[in-house]
Amino acid sequence: MDVSQYLEIFLDETKEHLQNLNTQILDLEADSENMDTINEIFRAAHSLKGMAGTMGYKRMQNLTHDMENVFSEVRNGNIKVQPEMIDVLFQCLDALEEYTNNIQQTADEGTNENEPLIKMLNDILHNEAGGGDADAVKAEKAAEKEQTAPAEKKWNNIALDDSQIHVITEAAKAGSKAYGITVTIQEDCILKAARAFLVFKALEEQGEIIVSDPSTQDVEDEKFDRDFTMIVLSELPLDELIRLAGSVSEIERVDGELLVLEDTKNYRPIEEPKAPVQEAAKPAVVEEPKATQQNAPAAKNNNEKKPAAGKPVVNRTVRVDIEKLDVLMNLVSELIIAKNSLVSASGQEQNTNSGFNEQIEYLESVTTNLHESVMKVRMVPIESVVNKFPRMIRDLSKTLNKKMELYMTGEETELDRTVVDEIGDPLMHLLRNSADHGLEDAELRAQRGKDPVGSIFLDAYQDGNNVVIEVRDDGNGIDTEAVKNKAIERGTITPEQAAGMSEKEIIDLLFLPSFSTAKQVTDVSGRGVGLDVVKSKIESLSGEVEVKSKLGEGSTWTIRLPLTLAIIQTLMVIVGGEKYAISLGSIQSIENVLPTDIKLVENKEVINLRSTVIPLIRMNELLDIESKGSDESLIVVIVKKGDKMAGLVVDDLIGQQEIVIKSLGAYIKQCKFISGATILGDGEVALILDANALL
Amino acid sequence: MDQLSVKNEIAKAGGKESHLSGSLQYIVIRLGEEQYGIDIRYVDNIVRMQNITRVPKVPPYLKGVINLRGEVIPVVSLRLKMGLPGDEYTKATRIIILKSEAAGVLGIIVDEVREVVTLSEDNIEKISHENKDGKTSFINGIGKNGGDLVSLLDLNAITLEVNG
Repeated sequence: MDVSQYLEIFLDETKEHLQNLNTQILDLEADSENMDTINEIFRAAHSLKGMAGTMGYKRMQNLTHDMENVFSEVRNGNIKVQPEMIDVLFQCLDALEEYTNNIQQTADEGTNENEPLIKMLNDILHNEAGGGDADAVKAEKAAEKEQTAPAEKKWNNIALDDSQIHVITEAAKAGSKAYGITVTIQEDCILKAARAFLVFKALEEQGEIIVSDPSTQDVEDEKFDRDFTMIVLSELPLDELIRLAGSVSEIERVDGELLVLEDTKNYRPIEEPKAPVQEAAKPAVVEEPKATQQNAPAAKNNNEKKPAAGKPVVNRTVRVDIEKLDVLMNLVSELIIAKNSLVSASGQEQNTNSGFNEQIEYLESVTTNLHESVMKVRMVPIESVVNKFPRMIRDLSKTLNKKMELYMTGEETELDRTVVDEIGDPLMHLLRNSADHGLEDAELRAQRGKDPVGSIFLDAYQDGNNVVIEVRDDGNGIDTEAVKNKAIERGTITPEQAAGMSEKEIIDLLFLPSFSTAKQVTDVSGRGVGLDVVKSKIESLSGEVEVKSKLGEGSTWTIRLPLTLAIIQTLMVIVGGEKYAISLGSIQSIENVLPTDIKLVENKEVINLRSTVIPLIRMNELLDIESKGSDESLIVVIVKKGDKMAGLVVDDLIGQQEIVIKSLGAYIKQCKFISGATILGDGEVALILDANALL
Repeated sequence: MDQLSVKNEIAKAGGKESHLSGSLQYIVIRLGEEQYGIDIRYVDNIVRMQNITRVPKVPPYLKGVINLRGEVIPVVSLRLKMGLPGDEYTKATRIIILKSEAAGVLGIIVDEVREVVTLSEDNIEKISHENKDGKTSFINGIGKNGGDLVSLLDLNAITLEVNG
């Protein structure tokens, strides 16, 4: 069976499940008694197993199967959650992740059998289950029995609600009989859903399907393993129904029996014949013992009945290729350009009637909203990236032998999909950095009067047109002296240079390639590749990274990323007859400056604005063009980046405009302070000045 | 309109000749007194001369950027590139938009677009790249079109040089 077309979905969903498992097992570690968590873990493991099996990844299936067995026992209360067990489970997740990565790269799961892991899982299972708990042994036997006899009476496990029971009893009075029927489809069948549909159709012609497990919807969506079970009301004898169902091609077998209501779950949940232990432990949840491979439907059933606690509520979503969104985004951009040209055309007509203007304003608001919606479609919460960090910190805590906690806020902050995909690695690096270099040992912390458990904070929030992500720790902070000495030792700077450097300049040294202050190279960080990579990565996303640190108290790394990469608000200015755009985000103010106010410092022009000395940049000189501005008074646009400021001298101002950023293409890259181009309303191209590059 | 008529011409020529094996189609352009051929497979479009937005701090032959249906495209003066005197824009001046997978989209300014010719391989004389004097390094062959000679532009040389 060719499943390659499902590979992408499989990978997506597998990653989701793995992430879910990671989070839940972490929760379990904190609260080993939480039944919701255990159930959720069980479900995720089960779905993973099913998916791996369908895709033919046998090793992955085996491993998840054994994990599932362990969870099953935990759920039934036969095994207590032990710290060692959590470790083994995490190792299993890593192994699964490795499989997934292999699959992503080569469409093959690789050859690692992970036998030691499987053995450990089985040890957990046998040690605990065999440890005198007779019920557990019995349960295992029951499980084994089920594996060998797939044709057990599954219909008895379907939970009937009162109305369904009512319908069945009523029908019995009217002469119809209720049958439990399980249909098993051939293993190599490709269109399982279609076959199942034909079975439903055939049976519905002769009777009524009261309930089906998995639900008819799931069956039609092919969300079932190989078999599905239903309860059918019909006047026909059972043999006839079985014959009808069996007449559909590619059906392996049809089992059926007259339904005895008393045997079904809701009637006697505690005396469920196959799983006395499980049901006794958890009588409230209608579910069947989950030690067998055959019973996918039951878990599904449970999923429907009781939405999982930790799982995000399932919205109605569509997976869309990001390229299609790009096309949509481009079209919206075009629309905005067209709108801008209408606006500029209307501005030229002197005696335009008000109706026309109204319509243009209307169009303007529609395009702005449309743009926002399209942007929102591309936005995803950073949750998907930061979710893996608690697990990482837990592992780091063990490897580094330091106690630490990660506190995260703002996981719901949204960023452009392309940015979110890229931001994971830099963040991971900063966190590792904090854990390894930032936080001190427990003893040292105790000496300094700090909580022996170190804290790392990851906070994300939106700030105007930017999203800010902060990684903060309460550790040692950056030892600027150590950095300085290291830099001198490496020959990065001379001792003379070092003496004259400000604290900030020294911290900036950390971002140079091949610079690591860790005295010891650990396998966590300290290989000297990293902070420079972090910086270049973030800059490639048009973002910035900053550090603030206080020795002995901790450091804060601040990443600032633009919310959108495509459309910005700008101020249009004129220099020497040419139009340029400056991003509003970097503009501080606009000033009229008299030539007499310009002072010379070190032969450079500066102005003293409200007691701040600001260097001036003559844009016409920078752009190699003759200025046409007035000599009596200069128009100066004050731009700001962090705490640096500069005044750009321009000839004239046009006004504020929303522009679509277009790339200048690969040919023109020499020009540092031009970050792109845009198309104006009249079809002309204007260049965008990158104020950040000027500072 | 002019753009359309050229397209039609190309389409006509293409329909008639393209099935012939071993023949290549070239757009013949004029640059000063000389005729050059541009391999039609690289030509995306031909547009009239329009206002070019200057980009600071780039080599002089890079005239700037234009707006081609919503895309910003760099434009190169073929004359300056080849060491000829600068362009004088006339009614016949055109920008030929070239597109290649390796180098992306690029416009080149030419004095005039004349016609589309089909040259069989027999009528194309390859020129080796050993001859490195100025102009000729931009040419990779000479085509015989009836009585006329057409220098065939090496578009890789032009686009690569721009890149560097």
